[in-house]
Amino acid sequence: MRLGWKWWGHIAVYWVIMGLHIFAILLFTKGFLLTRSELPHYSQCSDVSESPCFYCSDSNVNLNQTHKHQHCWTKPAIGRLVIIVLDALRFDFVAPSTFFQESKPWMDKLQILQELASQYPSSARIFKAIADPPTTSLQRLKLVQNGKRVTMMGDDTWMQLFPHHFERSYPFPSFNVKDLHTVDNGCIDNLLPSLYQEDWDVLIAHFLGVDHAGHIFGVDSIQMLEKLEQYNVVLQKVIEVLKSRSEPGGLHENTLLLVMGDHGQTINGDHGGGSPEEVETSIFAMSFKKPPPSVPTKYNISSCELNSDKKNLCINSIQQLDFAVTISALLGIPFPFGSIGRVNLDLYALGGGTWNFNGDGETCEHQSKLGEWMWHYVSVLCINSWQVKRYIDVYSTSSVIGFSSEDLFHIADLYDQAVEKWSYTKNFFIYKNESCNTVLPSLKRQIDAYSNFLSSVADLARSKWTEFNLKIMAIGFGIMLLSIFVHILAISEVKMKNGISFSLSQDSGISFGLFFPCFVVAIRAFSFFSNSYILEEGKVACFLLVTTGVVKLRDSVMKKKMVLEVIVFLLVITICRFTIEVGLSKQTPGFDFSNIYPSWMLKSAFGLLVLSFLNEIVPILSLILLATLLYKALFVKEDFFDFKKSLVTKIVAMLSTWSSSIIILLGKQGPLVSLAAIIGGYCIMRMGSSNHDARNADNEGTGDLTIDPLSATQWSLLAVCLFFCSGHWCAFDGLRYGAAFIGFDEFILIRQAILLTIDTFGLSLIVPVYLLYGLIMATTVTATMICVTIHRRHLMVWGLFAPKFVFDVVGLLLTDFLICLASLYYLG
Amino acid sequence: MKNQNQNQRTKTTVVEASAAAIVSASEVFLVHSISAIGLAISFWVASSHHSITLISHPSQTLLHLWVIQCPILILLYSRYRQSPQQFSYLRAVGRGILGLIAGALVNAFGAIALGAPIGVKSLSKTINWSMMMSLFTVVPAASVFGSSWTDWQRIFGYTKPVGPIDYMICLPAHGAVLGAWFGAWPMPLDWERPWQEWPICVSYGAIAGYLVAMVASFLVVLVRGTLQHTKRD
Repeated sequence: MRLGWKWWGHIAVYWVIMGLHIFAILLFTKGFLLTRSELPHYSQCSDVSESPCFYCSDSNVNLNQTHKHQHCWTKPAIGRLVIIVLDALRFDFVAPSTFFQESKPWMDKLQILQELASQYPSSARIFKAIADPPTTSLQRLKLVQNGKRVTMMGDDTWMQLFPHHFERSYPFPSFNVKDLHTVDNGCIDNLLPSLYQEDWDVLIAHFLGVDHAGHIFGVDSIQMLEKLEQYNVVLQKVIEVLKSRSEPGGLHENTLLLVMGDHGQTINGDHGGGSPEEVETSIFAMSFKKPPPSVPTKYNISSCELNSDKKNLCINSIQQLDFAVTISALLGIPFPFGSIGRVNLDLYALGGGTWNFNGDGETCEHQSKLGEWMWHYVSVLCINSWQVKRYIDVYSTSSVIGFSSEDLFHIADLYDQAVEKWSYTKNFFIYKNESCNTVLPSLKRQIDAYSNFLSSVADLARSKWTEFNLKIMAIGFGIMLLSIFVHILAISEVKMKNGISFSLSQDSGISFGLFFPCFVVAIRAFSFFSNSYILEEGKVACFLLVTTGVVKLRDSVMKKKMVLEVIVFLLVITICRFTIEVGLSKQTPGFDFSNIYPSWMLKSAFGLLVLSFLNEIVPILSLILLATLLYKALFVKEDFFDFKKSLVTKIVAMLSTWSSSIIILLGKQGPLVSLAAIIGGYCIMRMGSSNHDARNADNEGTGDLTIDPLSATQWSLLAVCLFFCSGHWCAFDGLRYGAAFIGFDEFILIRQAILLTIDTFGLSLIVPVYLLYGLIMATTVTATMICVTIHRRHLMVWGLFAPKFVFDVVGLLLTDFLICLASLYYLG
Repeated sequence: MKNQNQNQRTKTTVVEASAAAIVSASEVFLVHSISAIGLAISFWVASSHHSITLISHPSQTLLHLWVIQCPILILLYSRYRQSPQQFSYLRAVGRGILGLIAGALVNAFGAIALGAPIGVKSLSKTINWSMMMSLFTVVPAASVFGSSWTDWQRIFGYTKPVGPIDYMICLPAHGAVLGAWFGAWPMPLDWERPWQEWPICVSYGAIAGYLVAMVASFLVVLVRGTLQHTKRD
């Protein structure tokens, strides 16, 4: 019975720790991955009858009844839409240089847009579009889901997002940042012919050249200027075609052309942040309607300057948030359910124009045009506000957390005011009994009321959209801390029981041997707070590993022991380091932050030759070496009782058996990696055991054993190094092809480490070594948790921090599980 | 037990050796300030005569640095060679030059293992940097101790300096290495500054660590000296 209890006591520690880890991670992940809940609703045409905006629908018999069947939410103002997206289009690429303090070489290159904007101010216009950070990609238009026929060409990301929504598509791989022309040329080849086709309502052409040129060469480069000049020519051709078909009855009679960027870029070509350069992009809109729509200039907010030809040119401003809803209003399709944008007056006016409004005639004649237009805009805004209010209501009831009740109350109040005003305003048009002097100001007030509501919703959403449940995250984190505490407690308990000391040399108080591994682990943990360090994690781990190696070298030189092993170890890590660098340089450039290592091997032809040669030779060599080691391990067993010899054979045998699976999984790199694993592991064992041996010899009989926390640290660092060495990195696209084997080899390494420690240290020492290894892993994961929490609003949270977190967590849980299994096997 | 015996033995030899060349705090100050002035001069020559800085031309600047600093340090430390009766001044200088090359090799290996880029482009940078590091770390010890293994072990293995000369060698060497180690930390950051390149910030770190450690060694020698004086009184 007593034995049973003791046995359970040993086992339980591991299971308790694992349970705590699982619990903590589950809670934390639940809080962290609780994003803005994507509501499964879509706006339907019929929904709009719920809104208060159709004054005709209830008591009053009105002519509009018939119109309700013809259009959906709003009356379609345009027939067809051509959207040309130029990725990373800076505002100053489009706007004339006179708008800026000094003229830069990349300005005034898209001449055609400026000319049109100054020549036809009523039908062509340049907008300054302000995107919301993170400025990574276009708020993809949900237009494609609304029954319009869409043709798409260019960036193949669209296809990944909406695989089945396009009537026709010409996707081109956007994978390679260095390739400036594939996507663009594909677009150009297909764009002009498509303009003569009739089988689309919306045409999207997404050019990537400017984005890629920025990433590689920067904004101030010849390549960028060439790209812009090329675009100028393309746009000129497109506009010519559209113009030539825009006669009444023509194909493009009622077409709107939009040339827009999805975000800007900095001078270095980066984007993603919130700086004005990145946030400000441009939209050029041109209507081919004849006669051109009359834009009410009264309520415009635009800035005008003389351009280089001394012509007046005005530029309006638009929030990117408002784009989708404005386009929906223009096309006459239901507004996206989850949009909180507002229909932009200027852009809407450009596409709008002549309305066959039913209520005319009785309004004041001299102001009728403007009054009509405003009336129409007000009714669109009414639908707009109603839709936003509906979304906010549905959102705040369906998701656990969202806006605070005060904010919601404030918004509801604003909305009620606007609706109340509306019930008064619409009477003008129902009964048409007011003089024109009162109509226009009251319309203006109505617009203001709706705008006020919509802008306060947008502000609220920008500032307080809580995507994370901090409470749950904090609890998870607390449990993680608790588990670390339990870990430390268990270690000290075991230490007390078995009389094991952790210090390398007992003479110097809190010894260097204990302090140094803690320092290394702490540095590694803190390094996760910076995205650049996560990006270069492999190199950082190598750096730390070599540092521990150098410290060991100093130690061993001092004792004149194991010098060879340490030097071999350092050499192996050095080779690992080069492999990691090659791996990093191969990293897919799909991410804009991918820092391509300027490796000399890739730059010089000679280096390439050497590299390919090495590629061929090294695996074969290492395979042969492995085979000989295995042979030795299996068949040379004469001096089995010699401790050191048996250690070697055991290690090699163990690792060799595992390495066969690694070799199969990793292909060419396999032999190299497994050889590195064997040699590295062997060296660490020897270095660790040197102390162990010495202590054993010194204190024979006392049972005072020393284990080296440094060894455990080295094991964990080696595992990290080898993980990166084998061509992985902590990003979801860093997974190798065999998805079934996600990180499998890494875990094999951990298992190796565990089994090895068992084999070599024997039973008495397993417990603390396990606990130490687990503790190191847990510390790392805790640091990752903190960093994910801090960076939860960071741009790269989904590209970098979250994958890192997932990888770490999976690693920790697997380690826990294996440790538990091993403890069952060995202690049971 | 064995270790302790060895320790004691080395200690006795050290005490004898340092008794032969007692160095006052002012002399330590002089030596350190000369080497600091040497550093300053080499930077001044590089910037004023060739208008290069560490950031614009790291390789050439480091070359200037070690070429100017090398004779200063070797000649300076050779004066404090152990058992001057046995070994001539010239021999100590020769040992210093040998130490420069050997130390450069060790430093270069360490740098490459820790992550210095290899390749034709960075080869000269690595060579010049390791020459500089060798000057900071190995050369003074080589000039003073020669091939006396126990002294080397005492300084670099156990880090237990005794006497002003030991402090003068030990602290700056360790300071330079630690400074270089910490100097490597800004390198992975994505600030895209020119000084983040190898070996600029590492060199800055090493020089900073070296200078700080020189001040520290002077202070330690000063404090110890006054303590001993008061004890004697």
